Amino acid sequence: MIRKVVEEVFGQYPLVICINDGSTDNSSEEISKTPAILLEHAINLGQGAALQTGIDYALELQDVLYFVTFDADGQHSIKDIKTLITTLKESQVDVVLGSRFLGNTINMPPMKKVLLKAAILFTNFFSGVKLTDTHNGLRAFTRKFAKQLNITMPRMSHASEIIDKIGRGKWRYKEVPVTISYSEYSRAKGQSILNSVNITFDMLLSRILKR
Amino acid sequence: MIIQYVLILGLIAVLFKFLLTSTGSTAGAWKRIIGLLFIIAAVLAIIFPDELNNIAHSVGVGRGADLLTYLVALAVIGLYLSIHIKREQDQKNITTLTRRLAILESKHDKYHNDRQITDKN
Repeated sequence: MIRKVVEEVFGQYPLVICINDGSTDNSSEEISKTPAILLEHAINLGQGAALQTGIDYALELQDVLYFVTFDADGQHSIKDIKTLITTLKESQVDVVLGSRFLGNTINMPPMKKVLLKAAILFTNFFSGVKLTDTHNGLRAFTRKFAKQLNITMPRMSHASEIIDKIGRGKWRYKEVPVTISYSEYSRAKGQSILNSVNITFDMLLSRILKR
Repeated sequence: MIIQYVLILGLIAVLFKFLLTSTGSTAGAWKRIIGLLFIIAAVLAIIFPDELNNIAHSVGVGRGADLLTYLVALAVIGLYLSIHIKREQDQKNITTLTRRLAILESKHDKYHNDRQITDKN
């Protein structure tokens, strides 16, 4: 499945970087059959760290100007990448964020929606931004934004961390509608209620310790 | 009382283990000093149990044992925090290493017989 996703993206965009964050299935082997750059974490560090590794690699390539983060589990639609990049280039903003509530969701579990809405209220309040979807993995940003982005929060707390940085750094942002579809696979992998506890804890702790 | 001998011997054993296994430079030295002071204080408290009571009274605590309990509680909290911070530093280091390794390894394509990649754009 991942090979299909990667090949489809490659059909339209010149550089694809895949990060395998400690998975022991055959993902790496599948990706190696595509022209994508494969980065493998020897141990599992979490999605935030995986994104940062990809960003660091891309920043080393001097001619990369626009960055797009995209989940490879089938939740994201490749068509939306175009929306993101076009908006980024034309709207004079530093970062474009996908919003499923401006766009579409397919087969979203009801509990997930409840949790997400709560998380959005929470994140908006603490970071000072006004977003309709604060936990969307589809993002596009400029090289300038990428350079200062230093994702350090563990596990899945990076989404809140990025939003927080946007708020504090007063970066210009814009939301665009995107489609998020939940297959059985991605539903099984989804965030649990308990994980929300982790994320909240991480965010509060980082505020207290002012990191 | 027998308990006094037992406790003192136990503390001396802890002292030796502590002094022999601590590592690191500045922080380590301070830890050793504090550890040593702690053990001396503990030995004194065992030899002069009434002293602990007197100190407790002078700070408004009913019994020496109560004072000890409060101090130990504080020490445990402090210890937990210091362990947590150290773990976070370790995790940061692990992340840096894993990242460097990932980027370094990408320059060698191990899925195609270690052929070196020169231009993957």
